[in-house]
Amino acid sequence: MTTITPPPLEDLKDPFLEEQTITKPRRSFARSIALRPWLLLTPTLIIFAGLLLWPLVRVVLFSLQDYGLREIRTGEFNFVGLDNYIKIFNDSKLWQVVLPNTVVFAIIVVAGTVILGTLVALLLASLNKFWRMIVGSVVMVAWAMPMVTGTYVWVWIFDADKGIVNETLMNMGLMDEPYNWFANRFSFFAIAAINVIHHSFPFVAITVLAGLLGVSSEMLEAAQLDGAGPFRRFFSIIVPTLKPVFAVVIILSTIWDFKVFAQIFIMPGGSGTNREVLNLGVWSYVESFAQNRYGFGSAIAVLLTIVLLIITTVYVRTLMKEDEL
Amino acid sequence: MKTRSIPQQTLKAICVAALLLFTLFPATWMVLSALSSNTASGQTNILDFSWTLDNFVRVFTKGDFGVYLRNSVLVALGTVLVSAVVALLASVAVTRFHFKFRTTVLMMILVVQMVPLEALVIPLFVQVRDLGLLGQLPGLILVYIAFSLPFGIWMLRGFVAAVPKELEEAAYMDGATWGRMFWSVLLPLTLPGLVATSVFSFITAWNEFIFAMTLMGGAQENFTVSIGLKAFFGENSNDWGAVMAASTIITIPVVVFFVLVQRRLSSGLVAGAVKG
Repeated sequence: MTTITPPPLEDLKDPFLEEQTITKPRRSFARSIALRPWLLLTPTLIIFAGLLLWPLVRVVLFSLQDYGLREIRTGEFNFVGLDNYIKIFNDSKLWQVVLPNTVVFAIIVVAGTVILGTLVALLLASLNKFWRMIVGSVVMVAWAMPMVTGTYVWVWIFDADKGIVNETLMNMGLMDEPYNWFANRFSFFAIAAINVIHHSFPFVAITVLAGLLGVSSEMLEAAQLDGAGPFRRFFSIIVPTLKPVFAVVIILSTIWDFKVFAQIFIMPGGSGTNREVLNLGVWSYVESFAQNRYGFGSAIAVLLTIVLLIITTVYVRTLMKEDEL
Repeated sequence: MKTRSIPQQTLKAICVAALLLFTLFPATWMVLSALSSNTASGQTNILDFSWTLDNFVRVFTKGDFGVYLRNSVLVALGTVLVSAVVALLASVAVTRFHFKFRTTVLMMILVVQMVPLEALVIPLFVQVRDLGLLGQLPGLILVYIAFSLPFGIWMLRGFVAAVPKELEEAAYMDGATWGRMFWSVLLPLTLPGLVATSVFSFITAWNEFIFAMTLMGGAQENFTVSIGLKAFFGENSNDWGAVMAASTIITIPVVVFFVLVQRRLSSGLVAGAVKG
């Protein structure tokens, strides 16, 4: 019941409210109707402003300062302009280690996720209802597995001492002594890629499957009668029809795979001890919380955000075309 | 349906088998390792083992895993309760009312959902410290509410929109106030969606790693399960048996919840992407 009584105007710290042109001090029915959506939105707007938008502004402010341990204690303002950004771009680590580890990894993982997910969706679509439900539920288990425990399991599988992979390879006589898969940059990221793909292909599969089931079967049958093979049917009918679905899936995967953090951080050496395997997210975190260079770390975080916002803009545009808000 | 040749069927069966193997392998390996007596001991062959619950016993006796579990439950429940209420109110506002800036608000929700939370670790760390909540569960809950809210609103939007407007009007005709209508019509009808969305925010809070690690810092008594797992890693040797047993305990509620509500959620998620 409290939701319907509008509080006095001055209590509402709502930036949009000024636009509402409410001048009469008297409470009228029309006014309470106009206020109601804003009342309902107030908690959301406060949380967004305080915990998402203001931090977003703040990370930019930090990135323009030499923000170290002293500044984080005192809150002192120590403006250095674009120094942090210049340092980042002049850092050979960015070009040789961090950027390849982020971009190449994201490209490979997105491609792997989308291709595997689509193949699984096609497989699911060709199964009968019973098997679709069984296989679909199993695929869901991979999706539901928490990122942290999932990563630990992959680390355990590839463990240098007692991992099943080393065991098997040694038992088969392919290796004489255990190999530390995490010391090598490429095998490190190969394991990370398997982990991320394993965790994220179900989303693609289920989403594409929903789209596939919506493709008109008449169209497919007509194409088949005209002599189109399965590949031709896939690329000439299914892909164009599902274009919006693929756009959403690819963009979302790109966003997720660009900012992988826990999956890398948890792996042996991933928390900054092995400088060869840093990616943008981990680099930002390690510089901030291990080296106390919060300004420098913030600048990396800002760069990551900018890249993701560009991808997001594309995402929103695609969505807007499909769905009227 | 269409007739299929035998080789085609065989190929499909192989594909299904390969898929099941790849999908289930980590989860299976986790449970097997947790139940194997050889994971903890020096013996190498895990499959040549006897069933044991020793790993699970060690999880609860050696470390503070019970405390971590309680913390995780508290944090997840706090997040769910607050974000469900706030998200429901907001989703009603954006679906049931036509007001100036409605589209702007919707756009904001969508964009906010895309903000990489990893990039906000530093300012949120400072923010939570300023509030004096560093190393305390409420600080973590506060941050998780902010994370699960955009998605929650976005999902509930569909569920609220699915309630026929005529039902609302009927309630008004019977003399109900808006509050009464909300309580007796909208709330019960959106409850399934609310449950599904709540499960999702529960899982988000349960699984989260980077903020739990940063905000809880050295406050061991307030660790959640996802960061508490680190306790089983030693300087030179890791207690993999305990790690896998603890991982199993963490994973089971999530998988059960997830499989229960996923269908509902994904239909809502895809509703935005595919038309017709």
